[in-house]
Amino acid sequence: MSGPISGLLAFIFLMTDDRSRWSGCCFQQSTFPLHHFRSSADRVRKTVEMAAFGRISQTLLRSSLIQTRQLSATAAHGHGEQTARTWKILSFVVALPGVAVCMLNMYLKMQHHAAHHVEPEFVPYSHLRIRSKRFPWGDGNKSLFHNPEVNALPDGYEGRDE
Amino acid sequence: MAHQAHAYHMVDPSPWPLTGAIAALLLTSGTAVWFHFHSLTLLTMGNILLLLTMYQWWRDIIREGTFQGHHTPPVQKGLRYGMILFITSEVFFFLGFFWAFYHSSLAPSPELGGCWPPTGIITLDPFEVPLLNTAVLLASGVTVTWAHHSIMEGERKQTVQALTLTILLGFYFTFLQGMEYYEAPFTIADGVYGSTFFVATGFHGLHVIIGSTFLAICLLRQIQYHFTSEHHFGFEAAAWYWHFVDVVWLFLYVSIYWWGS
Repeated sequence: MSGPISGLLAFIFLMTDDRSRWSGCCFQQSTFPLHHFRSSADRVRKTVEMAAFGRISQTLLRSSLIQTRQLSATAAHGHGEQTARTWKILSFVVALPGVAVCMLNMYLKMQHHAAHHVEPEFVPYSHLRIRSKRFPWGDGNKSLFHNPEVNALPDGYEGRDE
Repeated sequence: MAHQAHAYHMVDPSPWPLTGAIAALLLTSGTAVWFHFHSLTLLTMGNILLLLTMYQWWRDIIREGTFQGHHTPPVQKGLRYGMILFITSEVFFFLGFFWAFYHSSLAPSPELGGCWPPTGIITLDPFEVPLLNTAVLLASGVTVTWAHHSIMEGERKQTVQALTLTILLGFYFTFLQGMEYYEAPFTIADGVYGSTFFVATGFHGLHVIIGSTFLAICLLRQIQYHFTSEHHFGFEAAAWYWHFVDVVWLFLYVSIYWWGS
């Protein structure tokens, strides 16, 4: 009854104890009172037992710490190896289809515009088509992205009889 | 071999700050000469010198960091501060143009017809190309995040895929915006509406081109094994810049395209 409990307590102690205090492989070999054993065989057996126990507990300790470190690292990145996959899925399932939907919407609207196009009437407003200084290119009268079909010059649309 | 007893980077003497300053002088004076005397000589020289300066200066930084190991953690921290401060300064740059837009549009002057958009201005439909542009930039924000996590997990092929997709989306935005500029029924010379629209969106477009170029350089570096899963600050800086560009667009879209229409 006390065996498993002490074993469990020893396990908990090892799992939660500060690893940095232990150095080397077997932590108790040098201090264990081996002289308590009657025979050398018993002493050898106990030493091996402790060595094995020490090594197993060290391994358990090491692997649990590694897992903890991995877990905290993944927590920082959002589950480690999973995060890149998550964003890849988001890219192909949400982001790119969103773009595709907007492209479709645009295509449909363009068709609608082409069918119902109304030419805007030209009114020579003084607050528009300002030419206080010539543009530094061409004849100085057309903007950089001038489009004769939609951009009127100060005296009217080019190529339209008004 | 000399050793340093500190973790910081004492940079070797370099000519590129001087050539950069000369380029700045040539660009400014060259622009003035172009406007008044219609000569492009100084401006062209300035552009060439600027490109040479940028190429060689940043090439040297890559050499110092990736190949010579000068970018220790404290040095990297300094680079992070630098990039954050630079992006902050860019935020203030755009704030000015947003100020100009809201100044003109919240209280439209009588010359414009006392309304916004001004009389005679046919605005762009915010739910056509501008909406598509928004989707494109938001999508590129997702793909650049995919690229970042792929780098951190050592997924080489996925990083290349994600980065390439981001850059393509950036090019698509630039292409769409160029088309919009050509098809717009108003120009930069159409009063304060045209000025605020084209200056704000124009500088934004320039930043998209800069950001796409930065990401393209990162793609080349990734292909050439410059980045490790722990140390890839060049990429992080490019990603931060790209997110900044995306955020500026969102403000532009909501203010100028949507509210201002």
